[in-house]
Amino acid sequence: MIAEVKKLQFRSTSRGKTTDKIAKIVFMSAALLSASFIFVIAGIVLVRGVIPFTTDNLGIGRVSLFSFLTGDVWLIGETFASNLYSIGFIIISTLFITLLSLAISFPVGVLTALFIAKIAPKPLAKVLRTVIETLASIPSIVFGLFGAGVILKIVYDFSALIGYQSKGGNSILSVVIVLALMTIPTITTISEVAIRSVDQTIEHGSLALGASKTQTNFKVILSSAKSGIFTAAILGIGRSLGEATAVSLVAGGRRAGISFDLLDTTSTLTTIMLEGLKETTGIDYDIRFSVGLVLMVVILLTNLLLNAIKRRVGVVNVKE
Amino acid sequence: MKKLLSVFAMLLLGISLVACGEKTTTVSTSSFDETKKINVYTRDTTSGTRTGFMEGIGFAEAATSDSVLVQGFIIKDNTGILSTMAVDEYGIGYVSLSSVNDTIKGLSFNGVAPTEANVINDTYGLKRPFMWMLRADGDYPSQDVEDIVKAFVAFLGTSDGGDIINNQGAIALPSSTTWDSIKANHDVCIQNNASVTVRFGGSDSIQKVAQALTAAFMPKCGNFVAEHDHTGSSDAYKRTNDPAIKDTSVGKDVGFASRPFRNAELDVPAIRRGQLAWDAIVAIVNLNNPLNNVTAEDLKKMYDGTYSTWADIQG
Repeated sequence: MIAEVKKLQFRSTSRGKTTDKIAKIVFMSAALLSASFIFVIAGIVLVRGVIPFTTDNLGIGRVSLFSFLTGDVWLIGETFASNLYSIGFIIISTLFITLLSLAISFPVGVLTALFIAKIAPKPLAKVLRTVIETLASIPSIVFGLFGAGVILKIVYDFSALIGYQSKGGNSILSVVIVLALMTIPTITTISEVAIRSVDQTIEHGSLALGASKTQTNFKVILSSAKSGIFTAAILGIGRSLGEATAVSLVAGGRRAGISFDLLDTTSTLTTIMLEGLKETTGIDYDIRFSVGLVLMVVILLTNLLLNAIKRRVGVVNVKE
Repeated sequence: MKKLLSVFAMLLLGISLVACGEKTTTVSTSSFDETKKINVYTRDTTSGTRTGFMEGIGFAEAATSDSVLVQGFIIKDNTGILSTMAVDEYGIGYVSLSSVNDTIKGLSFNGVAPTEANVINDTYGLKRPFMWMLRADGDYPSQDVEDIVKAFVAFLGTSDGGDIINNQGAIALPSSTTWDSIKANHDVCIQNNASVTVRFGGSDSIQKVAQALTAAFMPKCGNFVAEHDHTGSSDAYKRTNDPAIKDTSVGKDVGFASRPFRNAELDVPAIRRGQLAWDAIVAIVNLNNPLNNVTAEDLKKMYDGTYSTWADIQG
């Protein structure tokens, strides 16, 4: 009996080892495949994106990289016949919009997370968590439709109220609101996890020293979870920078001149890529890959910068 | 910090407006302020509707160039212009006739109301014809191609073809013939044509309509292969009938043009060219706007910035 069991065990472990080997190979090839997509995608965008700068675009002429990055008119002259593209003003407005939307979504998101994790009674917290998670999984086009159908009208009426003639509500403000709505769930979910993983002994220590609950929440818990909260902000920024569909429905397609006027139209790097993409050819098509390239660089630089700041912010006693 | 606070204040105000949104609309219906600026909405430069509109109002250079338009114009797609015009009382935009609905006001053009009937009887002016042109008889790569092309043109004139054209937003010429009633005249469609390629070209504005038509017609005609290469209206004639080009690699069996044929193009016998549809465009405004009629000149002046307020148009 015992011998039989031993035999069985032996057989099963030896089979187990082969399975392990096969599994390892399968997992590794999956990992390699997914990792290689990054290079394929980046490669194709790079190859197409440099075409406007390196060739004469079938007689239209080379696009100058310097004026492309610094100019403040999307395209001077006729489409398909001009090489005077530039996105300098769009880069700035993209960053400006991302910053503004973060200024709304970050405090709202973090405070919501704090409420769910520490203050709300358990059943309420559970419901809220589900609501936020559902919100996080709503596709961006739905946010866009909401923006086009509701927010545009609100912003239009609001502008009329303060005596400003808005362009149908298509404005920086509308974009910022849509993006804030989209990033709040992302920021909340991740900050909540960070807040919940703060070591309870720190919290107890603070309370024992006579600090009130609110003091503890803000001064001890939030500052202990700041690294995780910072990650939440980074992901929120990533979502804002990369969002195209929802934004293009409320941005208004500004084509020239930088504007920080909250109620005037705007463009972002993603909307300029998206508009007309399906119907265009030649240089007007290739230039969108160049914009994509710039967007990738912008995202990369932002992430590097934010991660550098995050490292300086540091980590305080967080439960592993 | 100050900026942050002001953004917050704006958001709060915005949210508080949700509650009284309904009230604001009813109040604003009463008055249209003519001194307000005109908000000019347009499609982007790749849009065929934009080309049709700009050419129709005599502002052809604006079809592909944003620089000649009035400062501060707004770019939206067809649906975007339509939905924004329901909100923006002081906007002007344009959409294809098929998408006009009762949330906005479609303006009469030079005194003619934008209706399908007025397009078909050729009184409504802001439109362009979609034309087709064929090669000379016996000048096709094979007899099968010629027969399929003839069958295709017959299909364009049926109500089946008309439905597909209308689904694409253009307006088909009225017809009561069905494909089923005439297909007996086209024996070529009974055989298997999977190895026959028919080349379609010409206007890129018609490409979507043409592709929808061939996609619907292929299974009806022995699954021939349709090859679409749309490069511009002028190539409708050049690539089917210009002796210097028609037999090169870019030669086509059917050419489409999104404008009336002119000059040398008219030397092609009338039997080998014709019209399949109209593409009508309507200038639209908010329902509160008292304007009911515009002229081509009005529209051009709005889009080039000569007229900046609504009072300019009335006077």
